[in-house]
Amino acid sequence: MLRRIAVFFVAVMLALPICAFVEEFAEAAIAPGYENVLRFATNDEPNTNDPQKTTEYYAVNFQVFDRLVEAVTTGQGQSDLVPGLAESWEISPDGLTYTFHLRKGVKFHNGAEFKAKDVKYTFERMLLPETEAKNQDFIDPIKGAAEMMDGSAKELSGLEIVDDYTIKVTLKEPFGPFLASLATPGVAILNKESTEEAGTDFGLVPEKTIGTGAYIFDKWVLHDEFKVRRNDNYWRGAPELDGISWKVVMDADTMRMMFEAGEIDVFDTDLVPSQISYFTKSEKYADKLVVGNRMGTYYFTFNHDIKPFGDVRVRKAFQMAVDRKGMLDALFDGRGELVHGILPPGLYGYNKALPEIPYDPAKAKALLAEAGYPDGFEMTLTQIADNPSTLARGELFQAMMAEIGVKVTIDQMDEAAWYAVRADGKLPAYSGVWSADFNDPDNFLYTFFAPGNTVRRSFNFKNDALSNRVAAARAIVDPASRVKEYQDLERAIIQDEAAWIPLFTTQHIFVVGDRVEGFKVSWNGWSDGWHYYEGLRIKK
Amino acid sequence: MARYILRRFLISIPVLVGVALILFLLLNVVPGDPVTLMMGEHIKPALIEAFRARMHLDDPVLVRFGRYMLGALRGDFGVSYKLQREVSGLIWQAFPHTVKLTIYSAFVSWIIGIPAGIFSAVKHNTLIDRSLMGFSLMGVSLPIFWAGLLMQYVFASRLGWLPVTGYYSIKYYIMPSVVLGWSSAGTVARLTRSNLLEIMKNDFIRTARAKGLSEPSVVACHALKNAMLPVITVMALQVAGLLGGAVMTESVFGIPGIGRIAVDAITHRDMPLLQGTILFTTAIVIAGNLAADIMYAFLDPRIRVEQANS
Repeated sequence: MLRRIAVFFVAVMLALPICAFVEEFAEAAIAPGYENVLRFATNDEPNTNDPQKTTEYYAVNFQVFDRLVEAVTTGQGQSDLVPGLAESWEISPDGLTYTFHLRKGVKFHNGAEFKAKDVKYTFERMLLPETEAKNQDFIDPIKGAAEMMDGSAKELSGLEIVDDYTIKVTLKEPFGPFLASLATPGVAILNKESTEEAGTDFGLVPEKTIGTGAYIFDKWVLHDEFKVRRNDNYWRGAPELDGISWKVVMDADTMRMMFEAGEIDVFDTDLVPSQISYFTKSEKYADKLVVGNRMGTYYFTFNHDIKPFGDVRVRKAFQMAVDRKGMLDALFDGRGELVHGILPPGLYGYNKALPEIPYDPAKAKALLAEAGYPDGFEMTLTQIADNPSTLARGELFQAMMAEIGVKVTIDQMDEAAWYAVRADGKLPAYSGVWSADFNDPDNFLYTFFAPGNTVRRSFNFKNDALSNRVAAARAIVDPASRVKEYQDLERAIIQDEAAWIPLFTTQHIFVVGDRVEGFKVSWNGWSDGWHYYEGLRIKK
Repeated sequence: MARYILRRFLISIPVLVGVALILFLLLNVVPGDPVTLMMGEHIKPALIEAFRARMHLDDPVLVRFGRYMLGALRGDFGVSYKLQREVSGLIWQAFPHTVKLTIYSAFVSWIIGIPAGIFSAVKHNTLIDRSLMGFSLMGVSLPIFWAGLLMQYVFASRLGWLPVTGYYSIKYYIMPSVVLGWSSAGTVARLTRSNLLEIMKNDFIRTARAKGLSEPSVVACHALKNAMLPVITVMALQVAGLLGGAVMTESVFGIPGIGRIAVDAITHRDMPLLQGTILFTTAIVIAGNLAADIMYAFLDPRIRVEQANS
């Protein structure tokens, strides 16, 4: 008897897969329901699609939500601020009060009409400590924001509802890039009732994640796929696509094979830089590449607290010892442009006239000798482990520094540890890339060189006068004076003080499949976002 | 017998607690703060503090471990740092995919392993024997991710016969099951072969031959039946090995199973999710071992007798 049970058990185990074979075997190359859907792949699962609680996963947010002000692409890597849910606005001469006139007749996906109370709710939700929002930076210049963030106020005193379609926002002090920061994906406008009702499900459960956007959040299967579908009642007019999907694929080679097998329509090489040369060197894909300038700057840092980087001569020697052109050629097939300051080309306030930092190892060696290091010295370059593209950059740096006698050791650290040490201002040196959150020089200079930030990013920049000027520049209202001040600061900090080694800006390369028509790269601070809407279609 | 099973079951409890404790300590001594990592570039320091307080992250490790175990007893493994969902729910969502892959792979490993073992034993020390054993050995030795990528390249990218990734119907499972099943077919083949060879030396086989039975019926009716007993129990143990292999296979072939979420948890230092998946897998492996022991006892009366006597 017992033996029979065992035999039966084995027989069932064997029969299960055979039964499964009866399942429908033949399938069309494009899964049913995806004929008019643009299919992307991504290598990382979003943590949430709640715009206030993520700082990196915007693909869905851009489709599902709108903002008061939108940044649209006007040229290669250039953007303009245009009306979004706010139809127009006035700014008081002192730069303190913004009056927004809201668009009438805009409907959320649940049918509710968009009104001023939704804006108030959105801003207050972002600032309340219990929300644990990650994007408070973008609206904290508003009067009363600090009181909300520390829990002493429940309402935002700087935001006044004039009527259903007018709101008045008062800032604590003038903040030049305020409009630009309202165009960031984190400040997407939410519907008060449905968001409150969704509670912690907001951003996680598609049908409870309601916005006004061109697409409706449709489906999210963890570690597999997320998808949006067309909003037929979109206030700008419904998009031509039925929807957009993102398949979550961890492995770079698998992702490439999926593209080649026609399982995805657009291959974003930014996700897997290791595949860039495969596509750019292949004749087959020559007319399939869609390229836009990346609105970001690659750089190396050094910690001015650690000897000998307190000496400006050493920092200048380093700037001259890096063959940036060679690095760009080796790593990105030469697709990009050298940056001599901090702002990348195309960004508002970019200074074309900034003098070139020459590649001159002989002069660099002379400068080192002058600073008292004729035989060089030893230093450590840190990076997060398992990051091949950062390592490749580090190894080239290592070789270039060896030319001037500096021995570089690359220290690979656990990601969490690396961030913790950096926040303490203790990382000796590292390499990174900063892409714009919004189109304004403040987003670059304030992030790295404002007092406090320069410690948190392990620069420990010692020129307090310049650091304070970076903070003060936020309050300049007149556009021409703002640009002049930022350009002066950029020159002083990067060229005179040699506070970091600017490298280059690269291109964002997409490889687009045969089905897709009209694919454009959006303004590149968020090139994984907005561009899926206008003029984009699947060939019938 | 019931006492035997109960005893084996009770022994597995300290094993599980031990694994949980070691895991908890290890994840806590690794330097770095996963909270700073998950909070992103624009977060205010006050919010990090609030989050740490809410998650009780500043309590002593043992207090946190105690709290964790109490929760785990009630089936509450905490909330994933990254995905912000209940860990137990995430595991239950992923588990069926892993079970499916494991069953298909076990099936593949048997249809490759058992016939290969039989042929090798029958054609003992011939070229067929060596090539079959070589083929099985290759499956054991090839790293899964490499074999997987290679198959994707040939059958999906070049020939276009099969989809590169996915899990929507049986054809999506062909490549992952073959890669994973092949990796354990070698063990099944070797075991079948050696047992069969051993059995074939017995007197009753000689008797069967003397009765004039054909060689195939000697092997099939008399030898194989006896040789398969240990193989079947090893198969139960193999399920544990297949679960381990599923981690790589699921990542390469885009199957959202337990292995895949474990890899994602490691990448993002998502401690509650990582702890949950490892504990769950440990429990499955322990259960597999228990099942193998019990099955062995059922199939081999000698063990039952020993247990009864002891």
